[in-house]
Amino acid sequence: MRISEKLAKKLLLKRQRHLKWRAFDVLEITLMILCGVLLFGFSTTVMFDIVTREIGRPWLWLQEVTQTFFIYGIFIGAAVATRRNDHLYLTAVADALHGIPRLVAEIVIRLVVLGVAFCLIYFGYKNFLRGFSSFRMPSLTPIASLYAAIPIAGSLIALFTIEQLVNGCRKGFDHPEPQEDLLATTPILTVPSSVRRP
Amino acid sequence: MSAPLILGLMTVLFLFFGYLGVPVAFSLMAGVFIGAAFTDVTFPAIVQKIFDGMDSEALLAIPFFLLVGELMSSANVVSRITNLSLALVGHIRGGLSQVVTVFSMFFSEMSGSTTADVAVISRALGGPMKKEGYSPAFTAAIIAAASTIAALVPPSITAVVYGAVGNVSIAGLFMAGVVPGFMIGFGLMIYCYIFGPAGMRRPRAAFRDVAHAFKDASLPLMIPIILLGGILTGWFTPTEAGVVAAIWILAVVIPSLNRAHIRLLPYDFCIAGLIFSLPLITIGAANAFGWMLAYLRGAIVIAEWITSIAGNDPHLIMLMMVLLFTIIGDFIEPVPTIIIFMPLVNALTVAGDINPVHMGVVLIATLAFGLITPPYGLVLLMASKFIGVRFSQALRAALPIYVVFLGTIAFAIYFPKVVLWLPKQVIPESVGCFKNPSGPGYICPP
Repeated sequence: MRISEKLAKKLLLKRQRHLKWRAFDVLEITLMILCGVLLFGFSTTVMFDIVTREIGRPWLWLQEVTQTFFIYGIFIGAAVATRRNDHLYLTAVADALHGIPRLVAEIVIRLVVLGVAFCLIYFGYKNFLRGFSSFRMPSLTPIASLYAAIPIAGSLIALFTIEQLVNGCRKGFDHPEPQEDLLATTPILTVPSSVRRP
Repeated sequence: MSAPLILGLMTVLFLFFGYLGVPVAFSLMAGVFIGAAFTDVTFPAIVQKIFDGMDSEALLAIPFFLLVGELMSSANVVSRITNLSLALVGHIRGGLSQVVTVFSMFFSEMSGSTTADVAVISRALGGPMKKEGYSPAFTAAIIAAASTIAALVPPSITAVVYGAVGNVSIAGLFMAGVVPGFMIGFGLMIYCYIFGPAGMRRPRAAFRDVAHAFKDASLPLMIPIILLGGILTGWFTPTEAGVVAAIWILAVVIPSLNRAHIRLLPYDFCIAGLIFSLPLITIGAANAFGWMLAYLRGAIVIAEWITSIAGNDPHLIMLMMVLLFTIIGDFIEPVPTIIIFMPLVNALTVAGDINPVHMGVVLIATLAFGLITPPYGLVLLMASKFIGVRFSQALRAALPIYVVFLGTIAFAIYFPKVVLWLPKQVIPESVGCFKNPSGPGYICPP
């Protein structure tokens, strides 16, 4: 198996498989890779920013590129985290419920997220249009180029939420998960879903 | 609808959605959008506030510190730090519990993240502690308590957020966090020595062994030196220091210590790229919530209420803030708490004529304490799951440890000169000092 295939397989989260359509797996992998590329991108531009400044020939446009990678990284990450259920949670009372109460709670959760996603799409789009009248210095690129990240992320969040809502209503949200070895399998900086307090 | 009612509605909705299982960022946004519907504030303005919350240069440091933590753990170079900690304090009564604390003091200075700390320490020392007969409840409690040091000492991500949002010197917060951070560390060591299980007795490591362990761990140990050295000498901003530390790991540490890990770096970047977005989208949402709190004069009302009781007494104001943040910190995570309540913190800092760095360190220490208190002690919760013990049992074992935190917070409130001594020596401007126009040295506020 090639390294890229191995990476793709590793990046696709196995958790809550019953809430996912296989057709969107490619999108999840693509967005995860994009997260890595954006992080690598702004790490590189910050590094070049330091180097060019230290040698006395700063490239001013680097800060704009860094800002673009950074903002898109946040919104794309937030979108893919919706599909992976990797967001930060206060707790998940819903996880402790079963049967109809669980179904109702899970639907309410998705409807709230969907509502927020539609606000991000619609009002984010309005801000995007308004952003053509303001410009970023020194390149004079319209600030709309940054604001575009909001409706894009909103659309992806809505898409993934609808995916979970449809699959959850059809197959049920309450599904036994394979027992995972928390210490071995969890990226260290996220709180695994099974750690969230019921 | 009146302003207090709207604020109440926003808060209730946020907590209801949050505790139901809606992600924190979306709970905050939902509360703000619904609250804004009853005011003159337009929805595009709210979206703009969400965007503005994350569009800050200072916040750029967060991804790099998270990347450093992820690379350090993923590349499995932490075993060298474990060996060093063992050589240094493994022989002291308490054995591995002392090692946990010292390990955390080292690792905190590389990751800046409490959740990274708790995961790494559980992974590195949870198993050995179990084998040596430490009770799982005590193991989870001491690991969780030690992990909170990361919230205080540089490169604390909580301090980065506090500094970026509150317009307080991040370098000053880093330096001022060192004394309370190490107080918690040494307090935990004393607690383990007197009250903890004796553990397995080991002979004191010979000087040669300690020197060998230092040599083995020297490459990872350069990271705090790069971070602090770069920031303190003024060469780098915290963001740039984070980049340089990441480059150090990528170019030197991993190729030297774990060459086989190089092919896994793309995966590390993808995961770190996802992880950094999670606190930042929450910061954006919390910024909109905090802005609504200020817009509806909620911050002023709470500030007036606190000053009506505490007057202008800085100690009393800080004690009331500690009480407020302890209660809030029991339900909400540190980052959103800081952002939502920053207008209130700013108002009270001015009212009590308190040094902003001093106020910041006291509140960050309080929020770190909130990470191991019920009902939502995130770090204790993670430790109990990783170690495999019930949360209630870990909580009981953690109760006596609270004394260490309460003592540290009280010390930080009543001895600002000690807390601010280090930043005053190293970066005087960070705590409000300015260059003496008629001579050498600095003039500092009393």
